[in-house]
Amino acid sequence: MSGTPRILPALALLLAAAACGTTHENSGQGATTAACHGAGGRYTIGVSQANLSEPYRKQMDDDIARAAKEVPQFTVHFADAQQDNAKQVADVENFLVQRIDLLIISPNEAAPLTAVVKKAYDKGIPVLVLDRKVDGDAYTQWIGADNYEIGRQAGQYLAEKILPHGGKIAEIRGLAGSTPAKERQDGFAKGIEGRGIDIVSTVDADWLREKGQQQADAVFKAHPEIQAVYAQNDPMAEGAYLAAKAAGLAGKVKFVGIDGLPIPSGGIKAVEAGRLAATFVYPTGGREAVASAKSILVDCAKPAKTQLLPTQLVTQANAAEVYAKGNR
Amino acid sequence: MTTTEFLPGRGAAVAATLFRFQSLFGLVLVLVAAIVFSPSHDGFPDFLTGENLFNVVRATAEIGIIAIGMTFVILAGGIDLSVGAMLGLAAVGSAVLLVQDGFGLVPAVLLVLAAGLAFGLLQGLASAVFGIQAFIVTLAGLQVARGLARIWSGGQGVAIAYGDGPGEAPVAFSLLGERTFGGLVPVPAVIFAVVAVAAIVFLRTSAFARHVYAIGGNEKAARLSGVAVTRVKVLVYGLSGLLAALAGIIHAGQLNQGSPNDGAGYELDAIAAVVIGGTALSGGRGSVSGTVAGALLLSVLNNILTLDNVEANVQLLIKGLVIVAAAGLQRLRPGP
Amino acid sequence: MEEPGTPLVAMTGVSKAYGGTLACDHVGFTVRRGEVHALLGENGAGKSTLVRILSGDVTGYHGTVEVDGQTVTFGSPLDARRRGIAMIPQELDLVPGLSVAANIFLGREPHTKAGTADRKRMHRETRELLARIGIALDPKRPVGELRTGEQQLVAIAKALALDARVLVMDEPTSALTGTEAERLAEVIGELRDAGAGIVYISHRLGEIGRIADRATVLRNGRVTGEFAARDLSAEQVTEAMLGRPVQALFRVRHTGSTGELLRLENFALRPRRYRPGRREPAGITLTVRRGEIVGLGGLLGSGRTELLETLFGAGTPGRWQGRMWLDGREVRPRSPRHAVRLGLALVPEDRRIAGLALDHSVRANTVLSVVDRLATAGFLRRRRENATAGEVLGELGVSGALADPAGTLSGGNQQKVVLARALLTEPDLLLLDEPTRGVDVGAKAEIYRLLADAAARGIGVLLASSEPAELVGVCDRVVVLRDGRSERELDTHDAGEAELLAAAMGEIR
Repeated sequence: MSGTPRILPALALLLAAAACGTTHENSGQGATTAACHGAGGRYTIGVSQANLSEPYRKQMDDDIARAAKEVPQFTVHFADAQQDNAKQVADVENFLVQRIDLLIISPNEAAPLTAVVKKAYDKGIPVLVLDRKVDGDAYTQWIGADNYEIGRQAGQYLAEKILPHGGKIAEIRGLAGSTPAKERQDGFAKGIEGRGIDIVSTVDADWLREKGQQQADAVFKAHPEIQAVYAQNDPMAEGAYLAAKAAGLAGKVKFVGIDGLPIPSGGIKAVEAGRLAATFVYPTGGREAVASAKSILVDCAKPAKTQLLPTQLVTQANAAEVYAKGNR
Repeated sequence: MTTTEFLPGRGAAVAATLFRFQSLFGLVLVLVAAIVFSPSHDGFPDFLTGENLFNVVRATAEIGIIAIGMTFVILAGGIDLSVGAMLGLAAVGSAVLLVQDGFGLVPAVLLVLAAGLAFGLLQGLASAVFGIQAFIVTLAGLQVARGLARIWSGGQGVAIAYGDGPGEAPVAFSLLGERTFGGLVPVPAVIFAVVAVAAIVFLRTSAFARHVYAIGGNEKAARLSGVAVTRVKVLVYGLSGLLAALAGIIHAGQLNQGSPNDGAGYELDAIAAVVIGGTALSGGRGSVSGTVAGALLLSVLNNILTLDNVEANVQLLIKGLVIVAAAGLQRLRPGP
Repeated sequence: MEEPGTPLVAMTGVSKAYGGTLACDHVGFTVRRGEVHALLGENGAGKSTLVRILSGDVTGYHGTVEVDGQTVTFGSPLDARRRGIAMIPQELDLVPGLSVAANIFLGREPHTKAGTADRKRMHRETRELLARIGIALDPKRPVGELRTGEQQLVAIAKALALDARVLVMDEPTSALTGTEAERLAEVIGELRDAGAGIVYISHRLGEIGRIADRATVLRNGRVTGEFAARDLSAEQVTEAMLGRPVQALFRVRHTGSTGELLRLENFALRPRRYRPGRREPAGITLTVRRGEIVGLGGLLGSGRTELLETLFGAGTPGRWQGRMWLDGREVRPRSPRHAVRLGLALVPEDRRIAGLALDHSVRANTVLSVVDRLATAGFLRRRRENATAGEVLGELGVSGALADPAGTLSGGNQQKVVLARALLTEPDLLLLDEPTRGVDVGAKAEIYRLLADAAARGIGVLLASSEPAELVGVCDRVVVLRDGRSERELDTHDAGEAELLAAAMGEIR
């Protein structure tokens, strides 16, 4: 049993310090020009990442770091929320305390991050939202790709180049109920519409390679006649490839994935090695975000509310070139 | 061959006092370090800005509240691993009841609190009445609560929109994400302070708390002295569940969403706060004030490391070392 | 082998302080080959500190310790063990979950060629060791299932297995029954004849003359006398220990008992699940009147503890048979809490395990049984707690600050705290299980006085003890248990210790 007063001094200290401190309010409703000090200014950019243990998000941070290196006025700080909404809110609040000049955020989820993004925006800090969105319009620019469109292109490619006379395929989906999984499915369905392509099996593999392998094992047992597999991301496509190899179907089945990360374990290398027939680059938007930041802070321009990123088809013909470009 | 080593009488008393207030000294130490190492603007440390200090207290609120419940459980010689999952379940429950089922604010909050209490009581019953180890029971409780949260939410975060229309939560609920007293003090911090003070007073002066300590100190002795051991243990788990549910409601209000994965791993942060606060994991010794200091210490540490842009993975290392150091200090504590 | 009589161990001018108090003040004694040297003294006289220095458990002292004429400084018990000194502590260092054999060979298990522990060999050697000290135990049984007395014997066997030349025994017989203690005395004799040196701490003055060759008496950290054990009289030793003559250790018997308080008729318990090592009540008939002290005698394992626990609602769950009346009303305590409400209080067998939270304050330990009663609307006032605890502890003669941890008190005072807590519930019937085990002579006498006081106030006392002298000296009547049954009832006015022992043994030859 210990002393009650233990906590009181601590609280008192906090309160006293709070009274001394000042809050820096600067309510210029998203006044992007207020942040602009031209080429002579020095700018600190905060990058709040949802979860760095996803390779795609790691690539996003790497792209931002690489691009920012070429802008001498920029200093970039990174924070990783480790898939925790509450931590990401705290990360952004800490950036505000540090008085960053611009926020780049890839939100873990929309609803929990909306308020703090709005808070930053209301303080006059330009906010660039990457990949996942926030609710409302209290941000400067959203940069991302269209999952529906990428799915449609994947379907179109499969129907035209791989199975021009129609055939039987399997679809491996990402995490059930997640938005990208739904969009990549709907887009794909649109792309193969009326092409005589029959999806004989649809399974969920939660975006994971090992799960893709397990599910594909079962699919190949039930439907050895399958001619192609559409996986909603590259790791699941690679898993399915391993399953096909184990079932003695390697070479007979073609695989199409999505994401095309320019890393050794990514889809581009898998295409180059011939394991996947094709993949579609789902761009991270990292370079584009730094370019936007430069135009806002240095050039005092007012960017468009939305910057939609195009995808790129990767086949064995262009894989090496795309890989090199991605790492420049 | 002789050695001269007499324990100094006065020194031992000083050491005992230092250990008694270990967590507070630790907190002061970390606070000083935070001020020294803080980045600053115009010569004023960023850490000391009012905004930042209240960010710290707000970030402490949820972990702090469940750590207070955890303190009672650990004092009674138990452990509750289900609190993080319970927080997630309560967050989902608040969101679903308010947004989808159209409940009013008060019925929704009371229902969620009652559910947390009931869940805790059930775990306590399973552990105390059937003699299953608390670690196992609450590990199972963690899974059950997560499963319920997934089922209830359909596996996805349930966003909370505010308004009077159908599918909208009462605007009053958004207060949890707001700041009061001139837009400075976050509402969750106020709730945390109230819970902490109430718990400190309760633990120091209530007959119930005396029984909690006795059970943790020597359960058999407590039973033979006529203490209603089973009842006290069950109630302690109920209290822990209730406070976890309160934290879950705050979580939903702050993030405008109830997600089934909310609070993952919070049970470990809460246990860390309790241990840093000087409460013995074996039970019978410790305090809520220590736990509050421990929770604040962890938050300050989190805050300053992030302000200094220390990489997230390195932060984990540093936090781990602090916990080990605190536990190590516990072992040095002079025993009777 | 060298001739007997060479000093094996010699301690000279040994001092050790804890905080401001000197536990030992220039103390010395020697142990020769083939000698049993007894250390006598009240708790806190410095015996334990002295032997813990000898066995390497306590470091940082003044003075000299010599083994075989060489000065040694032990940094740990392992160092001492390497020089052939083994300690059997009062709190046994056995692992309850491991078997008897595994405990004896802990840390030095013999291995088969395949590298696994050689269980067969361990079990065979364990059986041989146990046979040496005359007990037959299954080497495969977990130690936790054994009674305290049996565990003590296992600990002795473990020390023997280490080929110790100097054996330090801290109250080895305090938990043993008469026969077991006899057997131990024989083993000690054999070890002595084989040339070992033995340091022997005991509170049982009666056995010193039979077992020991010499005795050193300590009081307040100093040596107050050294005697040849054979011409030792109990009065001499007691006077040296206490520093004053003792008039009467036991109370003067009174005959003020009035109405019947407790009646058991064919009382028995059918456990729902069998618990190994327990002897549940299997047919007990007895009565306790108000103001009467009734003893529960019998050998170790005769079911004394189990009877008291069952009466207090703390026994093995199961079906009751027979009947129990308290104050003329038939009752059946469901739990300790219920038992307390019915007017029962229990001072349990092992105060460290079942009696006290050692790192909680004396105050918290004392008032624990009445916390609810002291509280106003669920909240306690420190002043009221202090008054309550202070009053009862004052009556019982416990010194020390209320805020100190209970673990800092001497054994006798700890036991008085447990007793105080029991008395605070204002019981009609006080159940006591070995209340003077490990308690020094002075505190023992005080506890007997307190029991007499309680009886004089009309409380009925049921006292379980393994010391015949205690039962005969303190109780009005003694009920002897055997195999969970009430075997005989003796009136202590005309029965002595020998009859008591004979009754306990029953038909066993």
